[in-house]
Amino acid sequence: MHEMSVAVEVCRLAEERLSPVELPQLITVGIDVGDDAGLEPDNLLFCLEALLAAPPFHRARPDMTRCSGDVLRVTYLELDDDRQDD
Amino acid sequence: MTVRTIELREPVMARNNEIAGTVRNRLAAAGVPALNLVSSPGSGKTLLLERTLAALSDELRMAVVTGDVQTQNDADRLARHTTRLVQAVVTGGACHLDAKQVDVALEAIDLAATDLLFVENVGNLVCPASWDLGEDAKVVLFSVTEGEDKPLKYPKVFRQAKYAVLTKIDLLPYVPFNVEQALGFAREVNPDLAFFRTSALTGEGLDTWFNFLRQLTRRPAPV
Repeated sequence: MHEMSVAVEVCRLAEERLSPVELPQLITVGIDVGDDAGLEPDNLLFCLEALLAAPPFHRARPDMTRCSGDVLRVTYLELDDDRQDD
Repeated sequence: MTVRTIELREPVMARNNEIAGTVRNRLAAAGVPALNLVSSPGSGKTLLLERTLAALSDELRMAVVTGDVQTQNDADRLARHTTRLVQAVVTGGACHLDAKQVDVALEAIDLAATDLLFVENVGNLVCPASWDLGEDAKVVLFSVTEGEDKPLKYPKVFRQAKYAVLTKIDLLPYVPFNVEQALGFAREVNPDLAFFRTSALTGEGLDTWFNFLRQLTRRPAPV
């Protein structure tokens, strides 16, 4: 139910970490989601896909890894340094 | 295409937890214990708080932050039982309170003149479990009309809670609810959970709850 809140927080972390030039170069956001994290993975993916497709991002995609426990973390950001903001 | 990877491994809830830490420090500095009441909708959080405010307002200076998806109805109900400000947080669709909302709500509360803080979370047994608000303890409520297996269905919130309140026990003669089985399920999830059994309607069990609150604030029961 709170997947959108979590997705917004994931995007905030990415925005915090990247410069304005890097934001449109983001292509993948890696996240670990534990089985006991209290989240519905498909809902979270849906929310992340919607947010990462829109500015300040530019068609970035989530890469979710399921794991045990209540883990919920952003694991990596992948950028294409050659991508131009169109 | 030149791909560059930035390793992070950063907890998604880090920012919320940081603010929750700030709230916890503010409350601790003021000596104000804080209870975060969580339950499914309709379990009786607001009525328990109404009874508590009505019974203890002369003894304890209680502040309340109450969260709802829409309306200030709960805040209005609670405000009838206290002269103190009841802080209403309308989440506008969000299914839980977060630490930032509590932090902002505390700005309007005189903590130096407060003995106890209640946070009445949005009615939901899933999402509030994931958001630390800076409270001392979560209090999970569940009523006898909800089924004995609530603790097994929603283990995270029962695992996180320090106290559980079984509400609406006046209905026990009329509903097929096995109290011992429910408490057993809850202890299966969290062996350290302390229980209260209450009926806010008849008052049964409320004295035990009130005495617990007095002890929490180190106030003796009136003779």
